[in-house]
Parts: sequence; C-alpha cells; structure tokens
Amino acid sequence: MTCKKARELMVLDHYGEAGAEDKARFDEHLGKCPACAAERSETRRLFALIDAHAAEDAPTPDWEKVWRGVRTGIAGERPTRQPALAPWRRWPFAGPALALVLVAGILIGRFGLAPAPRPAVSAAAAPSNGGAPNGIRPAFAAYLEDLKPILLDYAHYVPGEKAEGRVVVDESALRTLMLQNVLLKRKLAEKDPAAADLLDDLDLILKEIVNRGPNDTNSPAEIRDLIEKRDVLFKMEILKKT
Amino acid sequence: MEELTNIRQAREGDPEAFRALFDGHRQQVFALAYRYLRNRTDAEDVLQETFIKAYNGLPGYDPAKGLNFAAWLNRICVNASIDAMRRSKVRETGPLGPEEAAAMSAPSHSSDPERSARSAEIREKIDQALARLTPTQRMVFTLRHYQEYTTREIAQALQSSEGSVKKHLFRAVGLLRKHLRKYVVEDGYDL
Ligand SMILES: [Zn+2]
Repeated sequence: MTCKKARELMVLDHYGEAGAEDKARFDEHLGKCPACAAERSETRRLFALIDAHAAEDAPTPDWEKVWRGVRTGIAGERPTRQPALAPWRRWPFAGPALALVLVAGILIGRFGLAPAPRPAVSAAAAPSNGGAPNGIRPAFAAYLEDLKPILLDYAHYVPGEKAEGRVVVDESALRTLMLQNVLLKRKLAEKDPAAADLLDDLDLILKEIVNRGPNDTNSPAEIRDLIEKRDVLFKMEILKKT
Repeated sequence: MEELTNIRQAREGDPEAFRALFDGHRQQVFALAYRYLRNRTDAEDVLQETFIKAYNGLPGYDPAKGLNFAAWLNRICVNASIDAMRRSKVRETGPLGPEEAAAMSAPSHSSDPERSARSAEIREKIDQALARLTPTQRMVFTLRHYQEYTTREIAQALQSSEGSVKKHLFRAVGLLRKHLRKYVVEDGYDL
C-alpha cells in the first residue's frame, strides 16, 4: 500500500467506511510506516478537537416568515412540467437551437442592429447621463443569464464526474457568446468599468473553454478554479441587479 | 401513504398539501443549510429557495425512481446552499450576528472563564478553517462529519460520483489538519 492510499484510508476508516480488506492492509502499512502512523494520530486528534468544539445547535427560524416567502414565490403558479434535472443539465439538448436564438435574437434584437423589441427601444431613446447606458443593460443582464448555466456547470464540477452529465455547448455557440462579449464591452467600457471587468473575466473563461476543447480532461477543474478565483458568479449576481 | 398523497395533491397545485410537506421537512432542510452556512438568515433564505424549487420541480419528481422525498429535498438544499455560500464568500469576514456571536462564546466545557475563552477561540478557528475550504469541499465535509451521511449518500446529494466525493473529503480533512495544526498540537487532543 502506498502512503497516499494510506492517508486516504485513515479518513475513511475514521468514518467507518474502509472495507475490511483495505483496513487490514492499512493497519499493516501503519505498522511499518512511522510517517503515516504519525499522520493518523494527528488526524484523530484533529477530529477530537473539532468534536470537542462543536458549534451550538441551529437556532429556531421564523417558520411563518419563511413559509410566506415560499407562498409568494409559488403564488398563482401550478408546478410547471419540467424535467427534474437542474437547468444547466438540459443544455446538451439545446445546442443548435441555442446558437440560432443567440445569433438572431441577441445580435439583431439586443444590439439594435434591426428594429428592436419594446424595452431596448424606449431605453435607447432616453440614454442616461450617469451609470451604464440603460439600453444596453437588459442585453447585458440577458447575456449573463445565458452564460450562467454554463458557468454553474463548471463551478459544480468535481473530478471524475461522468462526462455525459455535463454541459455540451457547441463551439459556434461559444464563439457567439465571445462576440457578444466584445460588443457589450464596447458599449459598456466607459460608463460601467465593473461590468467591463466582469466581461473581461468572462471572455477569458470562454476562451479557455473554446481553446481547450471537450477532450482536455484537466480543463473542467481548471475552469472551475478560474471561475471561483475570480468570483465570477458572485459578480454576475451583483451586476445583474444593479 | 400520506406523504405520497400530499405530493400528488401539491403537484396539482394544492397549497395545503404543499404546506404539509413544508411542515414535515422544514426542520431537516433548515438544519442542513444552517450547519453548512452557519448563519440563520442565509439558512432561512436557502430553506425558502429549496421549497420554491421543490414546488416547481414536483412534476419531475418520481418517488418510484428510488429517491425519497426527504433525500430529494436535501439534494435541492445542498445545491442551493453551495450557491449561497459562493454568493456570501465576499462578505464572510463581516461581524457575526448576535446569535452566532452568542453561540460562539457559549461555554462548552466548564464555567472557568479562561477555558471558555480558549474554547471560543478554538471554535472560531475551526469556523475560519472551514471557511477556507472551497464550497464543495466544505459541503462534503459538513455532510460526512456533522450530518453523518455516507460518501454514497453525499454522492447522491451532489449528483456526483463516490470517487470524487472521497477526493473532496480527503482534501478537506488535509486542509483542516493544516490550518488547525497549531491547536491540535497545543491542546493535545487525543482519543
Ligand atoms: Zn506510509
């Protein structure tokens, strides 16, 4: 047994999840390896420390307040017929349609390259003189909504996860998202530096996804780390609301 | 079974049936969210979000597929909690709420002020060490250590493989050992 395997087993053994055969080999290894024996002793003491300082029990929440929030959230709705899958898991089926919608809907509608639908028209007619131009804001928010399922899927990635459960967004859709990014940045750069910074982060992530391709096994974890390191999901939530 | 009847009726849009499901499972969902987030308001938000998502997801929930309602709710709660943790990462250094602060300073072993101050200090260090884990590592550790889920149950909740759950768990324990080494050594905790 290797020391690496022994270190893993000392955790599983603590929780009673080491199989009998593994446990026997683990005990044998400990008898011969002072480093692992010392580490096991330290691990046991860590758990004893944590258990001796367990946090207090949960307080009692305001159940009625929470229920009122639930009622408001579901008010007037019958449960909608949706797959039990989280939304981002449904994306693999949406590839070509998505690309089409993005190109047609966003480049034409949101960016005013053709007569735009209601919100963009009224907003564009009255440009604000401070903050981000209002006309581009709905497009920016919609862009973030489009990207979110992809980023969430990467953010939740754990190594060894089966590939078939993951988002597959075709390259042309990704390139469309990159193009939109450029257009948005051009409109937002001066008036809203925070949004422009976020777009830079998103551009970097999109490039990573496109350049690495679907067969690079390291890429999901590295992209996940990139998303986390730059706090992209948090910034998206904040900027979407402002 | 009553619960299955409630699920069926809630699916048809019956708020009373859904209220019964809420009452039956709210404690378990809140306890999980609170254990992970360590903040009452955030845990209440997650509880609310979990039941709204559950309501909307009811048509896709099929008990015949082997996942009982409680486990299904926990799965929604786990994901909502991880998202909430990501959102709160930036403000985590803020001051504790009054209840958290009270919980933090509550004496755990004795009324000796020196000991309870030391205990509060260690508890805070444990919280800080947990805050340094990634949201997923922290969830895996919370579910395994505090909620006593098996790695298989955690994999089910995270819709992940047992292998990756174990990797997160090993990494989490390794990091906790590293961040808390000083206290492990100084306080001589032993079995
Ligand atoms: Zn060894």
